[in-house]
Amino acid sequence: MKSIHKITVTVASILVVLITIVACTSTKEVYTPVLEKEVADSDQEFKIEKSGAQLWGEVCNRCHIAPSPSDYNDTDWETISLHMRVRANLTEKESKKIEEFLKSAN
Amino acid sequence: MKKLILSLFVFVFGYQLYGQTYNTFEPSKTQFMLRGYGHTGFEYMDSNDEAESTFLGLTYAPIFLYKHSDRLMFEAELEFKLEGNELEIGLEYADVMYVLNKNITVRAGKFLLPFGTFMERLHPAWINRLPNAPLGYGHDGIAPSSGIGVELRGAFDLGGPRLNYSIYSTNGPRLNDGSEEPEEAGILQFENFEDNNLAKAYGGRIGILPFSDSSAELGFSAYSTSGTGEEDSQYEDVGAFLFALDFSYVKPISPLKGIVDIKAQYNNSNVDTATFIEVHEDGDAEEYSFDNQSNSFYAQLSYRPTMVESDFMKKLEFVGRYSDFNAPEGAEWEEASVQYAFGLNYWLSWRSVIKLSYQTTETEGGHGADGITNTDGLFIHWAIGF
Ligand code: HEC
Repeated sequence: MKSIHKITVTVASILVVLITIVACTSTKEVYTPVLEKEVADSDQEFKIEKSGAQLWGEVCNRCHIAPSPSDYNDTDWETISLHMRVRANLTEKESKKIEEFLKSAN
Repeated sequence: MKKLILSLFVFVFGYQLYGQTYNTFEPSKTQFMLRGYGHTGFEYMDSNDEAESTFLGLTYAPIFLYKHSDRLMFEAELEFKLEGNELEIGLEYADVMYVLNKNITVRAGKFLLPFGTFMERLHPAWINRLPNAPLGYGHDGIAPSSGIGVELRGAFDLGGPRLNYSIYSTNGPRLNDGSEEPEEAGILQFENFEDNNLAKAYGGRIGILPFSDSSAELGFSAYSTSGTGEEDSQYEDVGAFLFALDFSYVKPISPLKGIVDIKAQYNNSNVDTATFIEVHEDGDAEEYSFDNQSNSFYAQLSYRPTMVESDFMKKLEFVGRYSDFNAPEGAEWEEASVQYAFGLNYWLSWRSVIKLSYQTTETEGGHGADGITNTDGLFIHWAIGF
């Protein structure tokens, strides 16, 4: 068991370092919302980005049944989005897009 | 202490209710939210022809969420339970989280451990599709449910697939050396407010969502410590290594006119072999040891006909779950159990559900028992989240 423990701790330490490096060197530090229209307009954008509504349907049903936008007000959605982003380990982009959708449709 | 907690609770709750009801002013940056869930029900159990039935007192778990800023947040959950006419209060978790950057969030305090997914994501009564946990979780379980320590977690977008991770260090588990409860010798206990030695536990989970529609997730978790026994005791250096594999698949399937939801998790616990003492009735003491390996597994399939015409059918859900649990041969708590659970749920809303379930469990051995015990259970639960 001692060697397994050493391996686990070593792997964990390497991962922490790697994640920190990747996270700190990735160029786009802050997510800036892209308007749906802009995405549709831009020719360079070869991959169609998923809308917040679609992400909400896919992501928020993974663990429990997804709440509808009208279930909470904007302030509550901000708290819930941060809570879910951390608890469900969502990417920043997913959680920001879904939050925008929920706040726009409630 | 209880009085203090209760009156604090009533104060916070009352204030919050007032705030939420008359909240017409501009939203502020900091925000406090009171949430929670509870469940109540009726259970009938028939074990080797001995029947018992009981109405359950309401279990109530208030959750406090406090968003300090867009990056800093606090979460805590208390649990109120009636146990033998006594009110029991438990602290499920209480932690702060800080979003360092788009890929890293730090959490510290007492948090639910991402060891597999059941305890962290699926156990609350309004999320779990069946009235109870699969074999291998809960009181006599082998999977750690929460820990006190620090954690880094986050997610990476791989342009379609996504990867999420969590890495933590917590107070380590404690080995029951059998000095007080000889029948539990060798069991790991995870509920530790204070560590009993210097060896901490290290662990983490990596999850991969291979498809861009988030339908599937595969996870691998590990949890390791180099010492579980009391400091300066012969058990101090008894190490432990646990791992889990989890799987989740949720997808609306048009030909089936509904949503299919599959969840599964395998847990394996491996504790270094140690020698324990068994005291016989005549006072003789005997040393014994065993290969301290346990495992448990569950797989659950549920289906909600969300695309059918009938409004009544839409709210129904059919569930089936298989689970098994194996505790080490030679231990006082040696056990091999298999359980089949079937359920029919009626969803009143996205977080309120009436669950009807039938379960049949075959247990071989188990805490001091010999032979095979067959238990049939019928459950009616009502769970509500708010
Ligand atoms: C990985 C699993 C998972 C995913 C994905 C998920 N949730 Fe949750 N959600 C949970 C759990 C677990 C809780 C219960 C938290 C608790 O009680 O400790 C919860 C609770 C909630 C609550 C109750 C309020 C709160 O913050 O606790 C809301 C509302 C909610 N989720 C909305 C969402 C939305 C919206 C999404 C999509 C962005 C989402 N969830 C995605 C697991 C998940």
